[in-house]
Amino acid sequence: MHEMSLALEIKAICERELAKLPESRLTALGVEVGAFSGVEVETLQFCLEVVMSEGFDGFRCEVVRQPGTAACLSCGLEFQVTQAPFECPRCGALARGVSGGDSLHVSYIEVECE
Amino acid sequence: MSAERVDVREKVLSASDQLAAEIRARLEANGVFAVNLISSPGSGKTTLLERTVDLMKESLRLGVVAGDVQTRNDADRLLRHEIPVEAIETGGGCHLDARQVSKSLEGLDLSKTDLLFIENVGNLVCPSSFDLGESMKVVLMSVTEGEDKPLKYPAAFKRARVLVLTKTDLVPHLQFSPDHAIENARAVNPDLTVFSTSSYTGEGLAEWTGWLAGQVAVLKRNKGSGESAGP
Ligand SMILES: Nc1nc2c(ncn2[C@@H]2O[C@H](COP(=O)(O)OP(=O)(O)O)[C@@H](O)[C@H]2O)c(=O)[nH]1
Ligand SMILES: [Mg+2]
Ligand SMILES: [Zn+2]
Repeated sequence: MHEMSLALEIKAICERELAKLPESRLTALGVEVGAFSGVEVETLQFCLEVVMSEGFDGFRCEVVRQPGTAACLSCGLEFQVTQAPFECPRCGALARGVSGGDSLHVSYIEVECE
Repeated sequence: MSAERVDVREKVLSASDQLAAEIRARLEANGVFAVNLISSPGSGKTTLLERTVDLMKESLRLGVVAGDVQTRNDADRLLRHEIPVEAIETGGGCHLDARQVSKSLEGLDLSKTDLLFIENVGNLVCPSSFDLGESMKVVLMSVTEGEDKPLKYPAAFKRARVLVLTKTDLVPHLQFSPDHAIENARAVNPDLTVFSTSSYTGEGLAEWTGWLAGQVAVLKRNKGSGESAGP
């Protein structure tokens, strides 16, 4: 699937950021993946390991899954969802539609200056 | 030695999204309505397009960009319908990207195109992540795929504006409830406009092509009024 090309884009973003910070080493990378972005967290994590192993090592990689939000039609509760269908945790009714959960971002990097 | 945290907040696909925005501007400047067709392999994208262009080519100027992993079979099938077609072979790529589409648009005369169809690579997951600069995404689901596909592959249904249920002629042979499938799709995206079609019998094609023609007309009207209101 396309997680490999996404991993390469993420690596390019890291390289661009590090170029702005001379003499520094990447110690952590944070990526946010929406539950409805069509991207598999585990696959992306694996691809990142493969792609980043060339050029970067000994850093912490944190890929977090961003949920979407659904609203219950029956009781109005807004709740976070990561997969369909969207069952209200309070009353069990189904919500229709979901907002958010589309993210696909590099949220942060951490560097150590030498 | 000091540690530092840098807030990057950069979209992984920012470069690709920027190119898609350029394509969108190009299409809008030429008054082209563009549809990005997404489905699993074999759901009936090419067959639907063959029927659709036959029904619409007398009244509108059409164009097709046909993506495939290998071969230009789909493009060749569509060329027989005497409309401009550009083929993209992704060579293993699981989706079309904005770069490929931008390049293939060079081969079409956008100033003489009203309605552009982009047939994406057969895949219900990856193409939904990539903006191609289209006016809207249309997701196809055939009746042989099972009612739960919208729940298993929500991203494609969430981002689509239209669902075309295909191969309805086969329903009598299957244990498949179209209503249930559509309900699942609307659970993910209640705003979906839905067409139930068969490219074999022609069921639903008048509604589908009529709706598309309406979208083109709205675009032309908005563009026309925008221009006359200008300096
Ligand atoms: N029964 C039936 N078969 C269809 C219909 N539309 C397409 N097919 C068949 O489904 C297969 C795949 O169709 P194709 O258009 O190539 O799918 P694509 O991979 O999504 O472009 C072909 O054998 C078509 O003849 C339909 O409306 N009814
Ligand atoms: Mg095809
Ligand atoms: Zn509720």
